[in-house]
Amino acid sequence: MIPAPPPNKARLAWLVQAGSGLLLLLLLCLHLIANHFVVPGGLQGYADVVRYLSNPLILTLEMTFLVAVTGHAALGVRAILLDLGLSQRAGRNVSLVIGALSVVAVAYGAWLTSRVIGGLR
Amino acid sequence: MNVERPHDLTYQVAESRRVVNWLDSRGRGLGMWAFVAHRITGIGLVVYLLLHLVLLSILAQGPDGWDSFVALARTPVFLALDVVLIAGVLIHGLNGVRVALTGMDFGLRQQKPALVGLAIVAAVALVYASIRIVAG
Amino acid sequence: MDWQVTFRVFRYKQDGAPPRVDSFIVEVSPDEYVIDAIERIWAEQDRSLVFGQACHHGACGSCGIRVNGREKLPCSITIRSVTVDRGTLMLEPLRNLPVISDLLVNMTPFYERMERVHFTPVRIAEPILDETSGRLAADVSPALRYENCLECGLCFSACPIAGTDPDYLGPAALAAIARMIEEPRDGVDVDALRRLADGEHGCWRCHTAFECSEVCPSGVDPARSIAALRRKLTGEGLDRLFRAGR
Repeated sequence: MIPAPPPNKARLAWLVQAGSGLLLLLLLCLHLIANHFVVPGGLQGYADVVRYLSNPLILTLEMTFLVAVTGHAALGVRAILLDLGLSQRAGRNVSLVIGALSVVAVAYGAWLTSRVIGGLR
Repeated sequence: MNVERPHDLTYQVAESRRVVNWLDSRGRGLGMWAFVAHRITGIGLVVYLLLHLVLLSILAQGPDGWDSFVALARTPVFLALDVVLIAGVLIHGLNGVRVALTGMDFGLRQQKPALVGLAIVAAVALVYASIRIVAG
Repeated sequence: MDWQVTFRVFRYKQDGAPPRVDSFIVEVSPDEYVIDAIERIWAEQDRSLVFGQACHHGACGSCGIRVNGREKLPCSITIRSVTVDRGTLMLEPLRNLPVISDLLVNMTPFYERMERVHFTPVRIAEPILDETSGRLAADVSPALRYENCLECGLCFSACPIAGTDPDYLGPAALAAIARMIEEPRDGVDVDALRRLADGEHGCWRCHTAFECSEVCPSGVDPARSIAALRRKLTGEGLDRLFRAGR
């Protein structure tokens, strides 16, 4: 049996970065349209926001957008830092820290959304 | 193999300058300017992303906190910052498409005309967005 | 008619003093080459000026410097192409390489990279076609020629990433890997070169600033080589992934 090749981090990071970037173009347009052009005058009041996020389709869009933008931003910051010629160990640490911060950011965004939808119970 | 090492007294750019060497666009071509703009807007957008997440936490305070914030967000200073944000998004997004495609040897020969074309698209989109933002 | 041009030249001597800029006013013919002016400065005004030069016709890559901030071979550019009468030219050494003195840099870090990727300067020439039929000429053995790359280091100087990541292979070495893969040479481990290009300091570190191809005096187009390498490596990676498990 032909073994699966080990994942190439450098290549994977670039491809995910480029792919998420292209996906973000679409998601960002949808995010802007949904936030500012669907409701007349855009989302203004708190009630508008709650109604907006309670829509399952919108919720899916916003969560996907959050994951994609956080991932893309994290890979971008990682690339800038790795370009400074860090040691292998420092580079690994940078990747771990940025990865952890990204998970925290997405988790926070998801928690905040659930709070808003849940009516701050 | 005997390889001669750089002489100890050679002049080399200090480590601290090395960190910002990529910003040095003097005498550079269009592609370099695009790279620098892409990186600066990227860093700006990361800062905005973090700010955005922090500000959205106002939502957790309920209607009063949120509605006060929205009133603040409609002031001229915030609207001007929105225009800067849109500019950053357009530059980073459109150039990103160019980088993703040319970086894989798709349309690489046309990278300069593509850059000029996308810059025009970005300028037109920015003017439209600015009018919409200012007009409310 | 002769022009009068002011040459502002980066000066550095290993005497503990920091770098400075010296100005030299030189009478030049606008159709002379920049290297001619540099040599006249050395011969008539300052014998301590240090610079590289050899073939004087863009074939050896020894004289590479920055002219008004832009990497050039001064033996291949005329005065009139870079300035005007009573104009000023700024001459500086290449970036990203240690400066030995004045306009001369130590090319060792650059050559080490080229040796690491086993760059071989001789290649098979393009096929010779019959002029009438346009098909391969009969009874003509494949010719050899030199690779386009002069190993001048201009691309390495122009690359923004080579300036920040000291381990980055750089445009010339990556373009050389692309050539070694395209035309394998005896004794060169092509798979090892693939892994090198696919690694943390290989082709994925490039940010497509295109400066390397902008400044290359010899038609190597390293930016294109790097992009093509990426495409090739991605395609091969996907192919291996889909074949795995069978």
